[in-house]
Amino acid sequence: MESMKQNLVGIVGAANVFDSPEVLASYSKDESFATPMKPLFVVKPENAEQVQALVRFANETKTPLVPVSSGAPHFKGDTVPSVPQSVIVDLSGMNKIISINRQQRMAIIEPGVTYGQLQEALAKEGMTLSTSLRPRANKSVLTSVLEIEPRLNCLHQFNYTEPLRCTEVTFGDGNQIYTGEAGNGPKDLQKQWDLGKWQVHSNGPAMTDMLRMITQAQGSMGIVTWASVKCELLPTIRKMYLAPAKKSTDLEDFVYKAIWARIGDKLYVMNKAYLASLMGETAEEIAELKKVMPNWVAAFGLSGDILLPELKVSAQEHDIMEYAKQTGVQLLSKVPGVSAEAVLEKSINPSGEPYWKLTAKGSCQDIFFITTLDKTSKFIEAMYALAIEAGYPTEDIGVYIQPQHMGTSVHLEFSLPYNSADSKEAKKVKELYISASKEMSKLGGYYARPYDIWTTIQLNKDAQSYILLKRMKDIFDPNNIMNTGKLTLK
Amino acid sequence: MAFPREIYQALEDIVGKRNISENIGICETYRSIPSQSSAHYGPSEHWTPLPQAVVLPGSTEEVQNVIRICNKYGIEFKASTTFWATMGYIGSDFAIQIDTRRMKSVKIDAKNMCAVVEPFAIAATVQAEVMKYGLNINIPGVGCSSSTLANFSSWIAFGPNSISMGQGSENVLGMEWVLPNGEVLRTGSLGAGEGWFCGEGPGPSLRGILRGIFGAAGSLGVCTKMAVRLHPWPGPADFPTYGTVPAYKADFGPNFKCYTLCFPTWEAWARSVQYFHESDVAYSGHRQFNMFGRNLKGAMLNIITDADKQLSDLEELVNDPYIQKENEKMKLDYQVIIAGFSERDMEYKEKAIDYILEQTGGWKSEMMLEKDKHDYALLYLTRLGHKNLNFVMCGAYEGTFGLSSNVWKTIQVVEEAVALKRKWEVEHDSIAATGGDSAMGSLSGIGGGGATGWEFFTNFDAYDKNSVHGTAKFVDGNQEFHNKYSFGPDFCRWNSDVRHMNGYNYTQEEHNQMFANAPQPWVYAYQYKIREAINPKNLCGTYFRTVDPKCLEK
Amino acid sequence: MALQDYRAMMERCSTCAGCKFIPFDKIKSLRFAENCPSIGYYNFMTYSARGRFQLSQSLLDGRAQLDDTVTEAIHTCTSCGYCDVGCKVTRYNLEPLEHNIELKAYAVENGKVLEGQKPVIENLKKEHSMIPGAKKANRTDWAKELNLKDLFKDKAEVAFFAGCKYSYDPKLQKMAQSAVKLLQSAGVDLGYLGAADNCCAGRAHQMGFFNEFKERAEANIKAFETAGVKIIVTPCSDCYHAFKRQYAKLGLNIKVLHVVEYVDQLIQEGKIKFTKEVPLTVTYHDPCHLGRLGEDYVPWDGKEKKIYNQIQIWEPRRPRYNGAYGIYDAPRNILKAIPGIKLVEMERIREYSWCCGAGAGCNESNPEFSAWTASERITEANATGADALVTACPWCKDNFVNAVDENGNKIEVLDIIELVRQAI
Repeated sequence: MESMKQNLVGIVGAANVFDSPEVLASYSKDESFATPMKPLFVVKPENAEQVQALVRFANETKTPLVPVSSGAPHFKGDTVPSVPQSVIVDLSGMNKIISINRQQRMAIIEPGVTYGQLQEALAKEGMTLSTSLRPRANKSVLTSVLEIEPRLNCLHQFNYTEPLRCTEVTFGDGNQIYTGEAGNGPKDLQKQWDLGKWQVHSNGPAMTDMLRMITQAQGSMGIVTWASVKCELLPTIRKMYLAPAKKSTDLEDFVYKAIWARIGDKLYVMNKAYLASLMGETAEEIAELKKVMPNWVAAFGLSGDILLPELKVSAQEHDIMEYAKQTGVQLLSKVPGVSAEAVLEKSINPSGEPYWKLTAKGSCQDIFFITTLDKTSKFIEAMYALAIEAGYPTEDIGVYIQPQHMGTSVHLEFSLPYNSADSKEAKKVKELYISASKEMSKLGGYYARPYDIWTTIQLNKDAQSYILLKRMKDIFDPNNIMNTGKLTLK
Repeated sequence: MAFPREIYQALEDIVGKRNISENIGICETYRSIPSQSSAHYGPSEHWTPLPQAVVLPGSTEEVQNVIRICNKYGIEFKASTTFWATMGYIGSDFAIQIDTRRMKSVKIDAKNMCAVVEPFAIAATVQAEVMKYGLNINIPGVGCSSSTLANFSSWIAFGPNSISMGQGSENVLGMEWVLPNGEVLRTGSLGAGEGWFCGEGPGPSLRGILRGIFGAAGSLGVCTKMAVRLHPWPGPADFPTYGTVPAYKADFGPNFKCYTLCFPTWEAWARSVQYFHESDVAYSGHRQFNMFGRNLKGAMLNIITDADKQLSDLEELVNDPYIQKENEKMKLDYQVIIAGFSERDMEYKEKAIDYILEQTGGWKSEMMLEKDKHDYALLYLTRLGHKNLNFVMCGAYEGTFGLSSNVWKTIQVVEEAVALKRKWEVEHDSIAATGGDSAMGSLSGIGGGGATGWEFFTNFDAYDKNSVHGTAKFVDGNQEFHNKYSFGPDFCRWNSDVRHMNGYNYTQEEHNQMFANAPQPWVYAYQYKIREAINPKNLCGTYFRTVDPKCLEK
Repeated sequence: MALQDYRAMMERCSTCAGCKFIPFDKIKSLRFAENCPSIGYYNFMTYSARGRFQLSQSLLDGRAQLDDTVTEAIHTCTSCGYCDVGCKVTRYNLEPLEHNIELKAYAVENGKVLEGQKPVIENLKKEHSMIPGAKKANRTDWAKELNLKDLFKDKAEVAFFAGCKYSYDPKLQKMAQSAVKLLQSAGVDLGYLGAADNCCAGRAHQMGFFNEFKERAEANIKAFETAGVKIIVTPCSDCYHAFKRQYAKLGLNIKVLHVVEYVDQLIQEGKIKFTKEVPLTVTYHDPCHLGRLGEDYVPWDGKEKKIYNQIQIWEPRRPRYNGAYGIYDAPRNILKAIPGIKLVEMERIREYSWCCGAGAGCNESNPEFSAWTASERITEANATGADALVTACPWCKDNFVNAVDENGNKIEVLDIIELVRQAI
């Protein structure tokens, strides 16, 4: 063990190797039901060379590595070691914004860069980055895009992996390449820039999308040390609306129509528990909001930037009102308990502390998967039925429907707040989480990001993918050192 | 090696007597001649090898069984759809050609904007079917005569509407793919039987091993079904075409406009393109008709829009003072289609175009606003049904240069490329003298903008061997330009590292030598390992670029 | 021209697929997007115009042989000419139909014909009819009661040429009789060739039997000229094409009209008036040889020239046959003029119409293929919801009458003249 420490120190320096019980304990569990396991060390590399050296060392010594980029709290079990003797590779210290290019609308970021940090820098250049819903303040943008967290604007999600484009990755075998367009040029960003290449195209580098080997992978294939992301122009005008509804199905036609008409830059649906949780600053406030808010709300946003923004927004406002009328919904600037503008502000900005999902009850367990909008009501009904059976209050179940990939599918999320200090309640929620996860899968819910128990649930339904994923794991991480045990690929 | 009876019989048992042939006359029609079609390693006079047999499977199961036989006996195989591109043809003598013509269904989920297509569903048929539901599909520059599935799975697939719809890779949802070892992979949500809506995951996306920045050109097995994302079509349910063959035109109504936008400088041109990249104004954007060349495009447009004109009228039209004037005005141009989802939306988009022109000093070509030309261009760019006008002038063409990069880099070097081509046109007679600049292609090779996808149409006569050889020399001579600006190989030499000019495959040793020296050779070493994992007998030719990792470990 | 004269075309074909689909701009559905019955039925590339170009190269270069499979592939083409239209949407210098027929002639020259073709050609030589078993002695039986002038004995402006199918087929003879009566009632001074009436042999040409065609064509031209014919009118689309395009090349200088053109003209002139309503929804099938192959022949003698280094043009300007000016409107005008008729169109119409399957003798030489081709059309006709399929060619009608669609359903098949007669 001491020899390992010396080796780690040799790679990242003594100041960046941690093994105090407190530090190790903080990385040994998260907010999920994943079984806690203490790592052996925590290391904080400062650059890609150190990361590569760590991976090579891990290969030589068969040491499991667990990459972590965001700050706590974590929720999905993916950063909790699955096997003993693991070394946490905490990349949060690598937090440089390597470049911002307004002309190409590209930014290159290190793993530790947070949304708040990046959005501030981009705003100075008149740009912004599409975001997942109210990310944690210490959430790594790179992890967020690498794990394909759903974005609020599906219409610009030309690629499923948008806005992620190119990366620098050290695979589990210790080899380091650039993915996407960047893999076709010299392995030096400055040299690529000098040649006019701005790491724009995510596919490739050749006939394999290397990026797709590392996305949704929970760090089980390699460690990414920078990523280029496609930015958008910072709106000069924004308008936000809320469409209240009694049932989620009342909003389906409207959502489909807005997607078809390619209108707006924000579109998502929430039930009142989810919306109250997003908006409420305290548990009491959340409880009050739930009393007054409509059962369901579709949030819809319009924006204009540099090209005749007023005219664009006024035309689109007229059109969306017409579509709303046609589909039997009302678009309002406020609904009981909340204004549309406030929803927008909360949605696009990072959360304060504590993380908003923890406000209601201190803990929260999510179940999310991909389906199509027309099937969501089936899942919602089933979830409520399971909750009743489990004795979990249905009024606490938060539901979030986020269209993605230009609307061809939706991210459907159930959020189950609970009090983890209450062991009975925690047990109940855990059981509900397990039974509901299985039931959702039975009903056709697709765990594209198969965290924790979803791995087994999903891969057991798809033997051929499972076999091939194992073969890919053999190629990119032959010694099974990358987040060992995740995705059960070995 | 003679094709043993037992193999033929085994294949016949799978597809039935009607759907297999080893007759030499039949098999001869499954050879590609790279000077005549799209090879990207030509022009070359050689034919690809003669297949031992041609088989036409009718289902995924039949494809799988054919491939199992190929694995059992070590037979190379390659599937193709329309047989337009040389990359779809076999590359060795002990090989069979799979013709997927019998598999052509299109199934639509209009609500969730997705269609499941089989290999021989060409883009025109997919588009025709989805338009009935107010939907549209990305049709790549190769045109609607090509297979949607083949384009999206096996090559690049960007075209006029990629700016608003994304290119092939971006539009792929679930896929069903028979791997070279005979296993059937169903990607994403399809793998667990949950539907076609998502082609990614679970976890790392296996679709990543099936296609990258471009596809593996049939060298990783056979894609038998693919779900493709559809896009809104605010136009009529079918094309209200009018006009006399071949000058078909269409009027889609007041909410569609096709403009040819022109600019005084390349810098102004690029600034205008950037506006389109940064907005959702353009439904389609292509520098299309410049394919006829800077000097001839005005005259050619007057020919192709008039059913009674033909190439014999070209010289007279080129010398027509009105056309000369209009031609000069559209020297630095491109076409853009705007589609209004409402009257107000259309009004905004019209004003946005005016604003862009105002900001960049550009103008709209008046000639291209004449009704017959407008309606022709609108129909042309929406369906790409006249795409094979590529060949009209000389019978053959190659895309050369290939300035597929970001727009700002492209414009800095385009005139140098123009001058190189013009010099060759003047000093040699092997290629058509169209005016140097015949650069054409997509305003954006990826959804939402960010990369042009250009080539210089270089027209030659495949029947005239001097023309074929001269064109090859022209391309070779341009490589210095490509090296200088790091554009890689010339567009028409892109595939020169995956098939010999004589039509045959490379050996692994040859590929090792080529790719061991790539800037990032591990990319190709990983591809080698992927091939070993799903194609252990290496049965699909050598379009999948690989280097044996041992060469890098030395 | 000989097969080797098509080398340039063979090498300039670019595998664009235009010969296999209706013009891409016209595609309205997956189901009816394709054209070329030959590849439609056999599926191998060889059966398309592109495949035929490539096959020719291989035959000329000695790689492929004229074996039974290749012979069948060569002859299993209805010479419907769609490939020509599809090709010429984007190409100005390829002649796929001419080449297809030349390839057939190459096979014929080498003694490679299909069994089913032999009785057809034998009968042409022996009995001057391409209907096996038909006797010359009975050729004009259909006209006995019609008071038609024999132009070798009497003078008339217009020669009515029924063609073999109308002359011999007992089910169709009354159509020819109706056509004659119709024209006579409209005051047309009508005659026929009487004993000199023989097969036009147009189908022999489309089958690649050039010598047999030429022999008959020259005899017929002489007969028309001797009889002093000013206008030939025929209800048969095959005959129409033969006279208008193929005979014209051999020097026929007489105006040729299909009966639909004449009737349309007579309706416009008020010489045919409709008095009865025919309450029927119909769809119209454009016969290949009347539609896209029905364009006027324009003499041309020139050569290829290159401009701008490599751009190929014809000097002088060469006529282009691409179906643009075939006979499409006359039959539709007639249908629209008949009270009560509602015309609904199929997807594949006019220059990109689907073939009936009987062309180039395929109904005799390869009946299965021919029946499938007809069945495709019946399926398309039934998809329109029409009560009847109307056509203007006896070969089409005969092939359709016996066909069923993909679901086993039939449709009433009517000759356009029947409808006209019903309305008078």
